[in-house]
Amino acid sequence: MSAKVTVLIVDDDLTNRLVLRAILKETGFEMLEAENGEQAIEIFDRVRIDIVLLDVMMPVMDGYQAAKLIKTRSTRFIPIIFLTALTDEKALARCIEAGGDDFLTKPYNHIILRAKIDALLRINDLYKKISIQNEELNKHNIRIQQEINVAKKVFGNVLNPDIKDSVTGLRYSMSSMSIFNGDMILADRNKTDGMDVLISDFTGHGLSAAIGSIPVADIFYTMTRKGFSFTETLAEINNKLYKLLPTQMFMAAALISIDRENNVVSVVNCGLPDLHMIRGTEIIKELKSQNIPLGIVKQTPDKFDVEMQSIQYEDRILAATDGIMEAENRQGELYGKERILDSVRFAKKPDHLFDKILNDCLEFSKETEQSDDITLLELCHLKHVKYQIKNDVQQMMKPAEWSMQFSLDIDSLRNFDILPYIMQGVNGLQSIPNGRSTVHTILTEIFANALDHGVLGLDSNMKTTPDGYMNFYMEKNQRLETIEEGNIQIILNHETKETGGGRLTIYVCDSGPGFDFSKSQVSMENNEGFSGRGLAMIKHLCTEVKFLGKGNAIMATYEWG
Amino acid sequence: MSISVDVSGDKKQVRLKISGRFDFSLHNEFRKAYKDIGITGGEYIVDLGTTEYLDSSALGMLLLLKEHAESESSKVRIINSSGEILEILHIASFDKLFTLA
Repeated sequence: MSAKVTVLIVDDDLTNRLVLRAILKETGFEMLEAENGEQAIEIFDRVRIDIVLLDVMMPVMDGYQAAKLIKTRSTRFIPIIFLTALTDEKALARCIEAGGDDFLTKPYNHIILRAKIDALLRINDLYKKISIQNEELNKHNIRIQQEINVAKKVFGNVLNPDIKDSVTGLRYSMSSMSIFNGDMILADRNKTDGMDVLISDFTGHGLSAAIGSIPVADIFYTMTRKGFSFTETLAEINNKLYKLLPTQMFMAAALISIDRENNVVSVVNCGLPDLHMIRGTEIIKELKSQNIPLGIVKQTPDKFDVEMQSIQYEDRILAATDGIMEAENRQGELYGKERILDSVRFAKKPDHLFDKILNDCLEFSKETEQSDDITLLELCHLKHVKYQIKNDVQQMMKPAEWSMQFSLDIDSLRNFDILPYIMQGVNGLQSIPNGRSTVHTILTEIFANALDHGVLGLDSNMKTTPDGYMNFYMEKNQRLETIEEGNIQIILNHETKETGGGRLTIYVCDSGPGFDFSKSQVSMENNEGFSGRGLAMIKHLCTEVKFLGKGNAIMATYEWG
Repeated sequence: MSISVDVSGDKKQVRLKISGRFDFSLHNEFRKAYKDIGITGGEYIVDLGTTEYLDSSALGMLLLLKEHAESESSKVRIINSSGEILEILHIASFDKLFTLA
């Protein structure tokens, strides 16, 4: 032991304490003494004690009580040896019950006492090591959990689940951790207005299995959107993985492409378990793997074996990664293909198929923890599978971090209306549910202020009468044509909020002289006149509005979600 | 689970027999089994006759063996696979990459 051992001797008899001191003198232990249980507790609370030698019968507080208190107060292991003249077995048993770790009967045998102390200190040491290791393990666990959370977020963004969820006819089940099992489902609209769906499974587990999903998703979405055929997309994915992945890693995958123009479904199975095409509750086609999994050898688009099948409205396709086949029950049996086919056979209605397969498998493996590995996918009503547009927003985009900047000189201000382009940029980058027109309003008002009052130096007091209003705009047009200098800077910065949604900060700075914003008091209540509405409106719509510099710059923050 | 290695007298044939589960836990052992033998223009025979189970990481290990074999102009033949094991090899289209017998 590195640190000095401190022994607490508790006995009401001075002679006994002296004897114990004498016995332990050679050990070099630090020794503290207490005359009864209460004193012992008082010392225990103050000093770090390693071992307690405790008499049973003492005035004020006896050894039993003291032992109980010591054991309940300490978070670490503190050995207690009861010292007693009692030899009655019941009394000795009571010592252990009270929390004692050992006992020694008087008169003391020096050798035995020393041996017992040594033994208990060794246990004490072990406890310490274990608790240090536990602490380290805990720290590791917390760090790993944090890393997983970060990774989940990254992958969540890449795999863009919003798109999958906008496909009518697509049902799937995968665990939230599935990405770390190497499983992935991607779906996007293809050039026939049908869908291309990719279900895939990387070899291995953990982050290394997940890492390949990023380029795969990237290639899949980019090429599908650009109208490449699914075999071209697959070849590109394959060749990318071939270049990227170490030899032993590859991706089993199936690509299902629904051609809405010709009502044909094409399936390329590269190493996944059989896909099933089902009409009603009948399996009409087994789609066996006929291709090497992706990332093993170089491929050209024409090298893929494609199964084609014409489709009817009620047709559906079922696909799964090998997790379902390999789900184990407690006896170590694998779920296997036959059981999946049984679920199909015994499903009463086509619409129950998916749930039946999933539930049967979960039931089978419920006593193990395999259920996390199951990725199952169903495309139903094949003829009508399509991409559903949500909320009038063309595409749901998760809150993202971006910024853009515009710098306009006087000629641009004169000849060019920048606002629609800015709005187009914003809409392209970010869906802001119910907030698009608000952002447009804020931008319009801020920009108008910068141009009218900043660059052009128009006085809004001109607008106090109906005629003045007209004059104001005539004056504006005239000044805009003749003015020789001026510029406006616009910066938009969007960041995600931790609570979801986003925060858009609009910064606009003009070349005008500014104004004394400390005296400006505007509110919507003062809304009867013809002026002052713009700023009041901005303040009303934004969470924060600040004037900067000499009053020629404004920063407005709009939050959504 | 275990791997037994037999090298023929002329160092042209290495027989790797895998018993029990062939999965990630065999990763190091499997690599060690063939890595330092150093045959040229020979053949590695992977005997899966007593293999009970084979997962995708085992497929990866077979690909590593194939890469190793090709680097010394040797071949890989997978023999005695049957039932589910053979099915897994077929699903992964390993019949196109290896000689299966």
